Amino acid sequence: MFHRECGVLKTSYEADMALYPLPIARWTVGALAVLFFVVLPLTLHEYYLSIGNLVWIAVIGALGLNILVGYTGQVSIGHGAFMSVGAYTAANLATRLDSPWPVNILAGGLMAAAVGAIVGIPSLRIKGLYLAIATLAGQLIIEWIINHVTFISGGVQASIEVPRPRLGTIPLASQRQLYFFLLAFVVLAIIATLNLVRSRVGRAFIAIRDQDIAAEIIGIDIFRYKLLAFAISSFYAGVTGVLYTYFLGIANYEQFQINVSIDYLAMIIVGGLGSILGSVLGAMFITLLPIVIRLSMEAFGGMFLEPQTVMNLIPNLRLMMFGALIIFFLVVEPEGLNRLWRNIRNYFRIWPFAY
Amino acid sequence: MSDALGFFFLLMSNGVMIGLMYSLIALGFVLVYKATDAVNFAQGEFVMIAALAVALSMLAAGAPLWVAVLIGIAGMIAFGFALERVVLRKLIGRPVIAVVMATIGLAAILRGVGPTFFGAGTKNLPLPISDEPFILGPLFIPPIQVLGAAVSVLFIGAFGWFFLKSRKGIAMRAVADNQQVAMAMGINVQRYFGLAWAMTGIVSALGGIIWGNMLGVDVNLSLVGFKVFPVVILGGLDSIPGAIVGGLIVGLVENVAAGYVDPYVGGGTKDFAPYVLMILALMIRPYGIFGKRIIERI
Amino acid sequence: MRLRLIVLLVLIGLAGVHAAPAAANHEIVIGMQCDRTGATQIVGTILCPGKHDYIALVNSKGGVEGHKIKALEVDHEYKVPPGVESYERHKKEGAVSIDVYGTPHIYALAAKLTEDRIPGTSPGFGSAAAADGIRYPYIFPIAATYWSQGTAAVDFAKKQLGGSLKGKKIAYIFYDNPAGREPIEVLEDLATLEGFTLRTFAVPPPGVEMGAQVLDIAQRFRADYVIAHLFGGAPAVSIKELKRVGYPLRKVIAFVWGSAEANIEAAGGFAVAEGYYTMQFAGVGQDYPVLKEIREMYKKQGKPAPKEMASTVFYNRGVLIAAIHVEAIRNALKAKPDGKITGVDVKAGFEKISNFTLGGLVPPLKITPNDHEGGGLVQIWQVKGGKFEKTTDWFSAYPDVLAKHIKAAGSK
Repeated sequence: MFHRECGVLKTSYEADMALYPLPIARWTVGALAVLFFVVLPLTLHEYYLSIGNLVWIAVIGALGLNILVGYTGQVSIGHGAFMSVGAYTAANLATRLDSPWPVNILAGGLMAAAVGAIVGIPSLRIKGLYLAIATLAGQLIIEWIINHVTFISGGVQASIEVPRPRLGTIPLASQRQLYFFLLAFVVLAIIATLNLVRSRVGRAFIAIRDQDIAAEIIGIDIFRYKLLAFAISSFYAGVTGVLYTYFLGIANYEQFQINVSIDYLAMIIVGGLGSILGSVLGAMFITLLPIVIRLSMEAFGGMFLEPQTVMNLIPNLRLMMFGALIIFFLVVEPEGLNRLWRNIRNYFRIWPFAY
Repeated sequence: MSDALGFFFLLMSNGVMIGLMYSLIALGFVLVYKATDAVNFAQGEFVMIAALAVALSMLAAGAPLWVAVLIGIAGMIAFGFALERVVLRKLIGRPVIAVVMATIGLAAILRGVGPTFFGAGTKNLPLPISDEPFILGPLFIPPIQVLGAAVSVLFIGAFGWFFLKSRKGIAMRAVADNQQVAMAMGINVQRYFGLAWAMTGIVSALGGIIWGNMLGVDVNLSLVGFKVFPVVILGGLDSIPGAIVGGLIVGLVENVAAGYVDPYVGGGTKDFAPYVLMILALMIRPYGIFGKRIIERI
Repeated sequence: MRLRLIVLLVLIGLAGVHAAPAAANHEIVIGMQCDRTGATQIVGTILCPGKHDYIALVNSKGGVEGHKIKALEVDHEYKVPPGVESYERHKKEGAVSIDVYGTPHIYALAAKLTEDRIPGTSPGFGSAAAADGIRYPYIFPIAATYWSQGTAAVDFAKKQLGGSLKGKKIAYIFYDNPAGREPIEVLEDLATLEGFTLRTFAVPPPGVEMGAQVLDIAQRFRADYVIAHLFGGAPAVSIKELKRVGYPLRKVIAFVWGSAEANIEAAGGFAVAEGYYTMQFAGVGQDYPVLKEIREMYKKQGKPAPKEMASTVFYNRGVLIAAIHVEAIRNALKAKPDGKITGVDVKAGFEKISNFTLGGLVPPLKITPNDHEGGGLVQIWQVKGGKFEKTTDWFSAYPDVLAKHIKAAGSK
């Protein structure tokens, strides 16, 4: 009844190829836009907006990783390192050359893309798990370089304070202002990714994922496209790193270690490999999970256990739930939250009919 | 013997010993991969849980060493069987990343379970060997390293023989090669999967005891699991002699890096030197030195 | 079906949060960070109960100037994003001071604390440059920073090696991260000043394997003294490794985070670590009046004293941290008796702290608007005969060298 697909006729190629050809899709996107751009920032307290900001940053990173892992099939455990490359590039530019934030973000992304392409070079020869471990090696090496080369790290502390981004003359310092700033980037990233996967490059990626030898036979230069996948994915990671730096006000490589890489892998697995909605949902889920666990434990834990025990239990519980949820999704719903959503949507597609 | 040369031999002996101890942990990884094609990212956490179980039975229940060791081994065997039954059976046939993530999730669970049920403080795992090093000329060899290396070589030899000569070992290799044909030949594939995980459990228990004595038993013990990767990649994911060779190489490279490269670059190369070597080796031999070449058919 | 169940649970959880009562009117909120499950859980699981116990003691005696204190703890697993998120939460709950835990966290929060004008403490870790109270008005080290620990260690080594370091070799083994590298510039300065050879040995995190570095120290470099700056599980490993290569532990001095019963026990017990020298910024042992009072408090509640109290090094440090926060709040309340204090008032309260020793548990700190560190005082205790024995009383060393570095850092 709501999801009408028949009777929607297009009269131009552009209209047919549009991102959201169906009216229900347009209404949904519009409603979501109103929700996220208007309702939430006006009603929620700054603390919840700061959580929202963390979610937006994670979404961009997850989108990037999904391009590489979900669409091109190259497992990478080095995402965190690319983020730190982006972060430090931007931080150095901001503090040494006083460059404005668009330059910083772009530079951070491009630098990360270059590094990502280098790390991706082994993908020509190695595949699967071996490649994953090679990217892990890349992560460790990049961490070491940032840690030890003081030109990049800015000194022994390896932390560079970054001034807030300015819109004209207004510094974006409060959580509410950062919320809109980050949301704009999220929208850009989602639109870019949506278009990327529909394009020729995106189709090449999917071909490589499905059967790379066959792809090579039909003429796709797999080495070039694999490197491109690494580069694009690392660009997203670099931008994520820069935005995270702006959010925190400081660049520090210890924020981008291997546990971050694993968190992002978890996001795309739980969300659904090879789907954009999955990246978004997965990012929201994994970022909000520890917060929800803590809040509910604090609300309910006091009923069953001593406060100290609760305190000790909460973080372990978060680890256990994190692991348990990953396994749960892998066993029960291997295509992640995206599939869950598709199931709901398919139900409503033909509602109120049964089939 | 000159000082520099003496130091060199010290580093080499340390490298060899530590390398063999890495091989012990790598063996657990290789066993699982060889038999079930599953990649175990939680190997370090297995070692940690095993060590916690042994340490706890010694400290809290006051059990003598050999009882605690038996408890540890038995516990890990049970754990291995249970794990295979509950989780991994459902993931057969999934792409690489699925099993990788499942074991990563398992690792997270174990890291949470450890401190919750066993306490967060570092526990000591005393073994009845002295702390004073054996002195052989210029070499200082701590007894624990000798024990670790001996156990490692012994078990690698035992498992190597198992896979080559015994009936069950050959059956396992058949299962690893082609599950469907093995099933058609009457081999109970699922039971052998369980057996493989149980064997990993045994090896983890041993590794846990040795490494737990060396490093102290707490959550950080699981980090030795990261050392496993360069070892198995260099040696070949499914090769048992590769575990020894890989372990030796990693141990030696680490010590050479720490001894000779660190002073020039300000330290810290030890951890990623094996990874650099690994990448170089992979470019030449993409499946490791002894690894089985994977032939893809379209 | 499953999805519905999950959604339902999440909603209940969130509803529960809003149903929970907000902080009572006269409660003053301190925001506490802790690491109970991350790399430094060996510290956090004992340090944080110490803080909570002291606050409970203060509340049981009627609070501070009649106001109860609410200590809101959040565990951040030694990771920065949860640390930042916890800070936002503390801000929301109206915290007037933040007890930060972790060097990367104080770096990450330094800008925010100054912007929001809430004082944050970083006792025994963090940025040593923050001792400069003018440059960093809202960051309070309140205990010896890594630079002060470095100078104290060199001074102690000098006394141990007969009064002069000329021509001697000192090895500095450290955790290869910013916290570990922080003292190096000060140590190098002292090396030129005192004429000794300094060699640094980095132990990459997580510090579980340092055989080669220790071999180098003992057999190739043949250090006359070792200064160790490790934390987490690494100190115990270092003790074992040094013993294994036959290096005498009485030639080792460890910084404050490698110096607790927990580290010694992890290394195999006091017998194994005999001779090891440790640096402390809080008193060690059970013999302090405030600890007796905490035990009494538990007895009155009919509960045994918590087992964390036995691990006195970390526990007492927790008490110290909480006590200094409470004193700052007390000073702030004295200036504003109506109880409506903000971060700015508590900052001023910190800067009035002097002669507060809590029966010897706390060093005689003197925190001023210029010096947020309070003097950088440490004590040295040695592992002897199965327990810790006091070797020196509160001291600090090379104040002019420290001042020079702090000024240089502040001008950047």
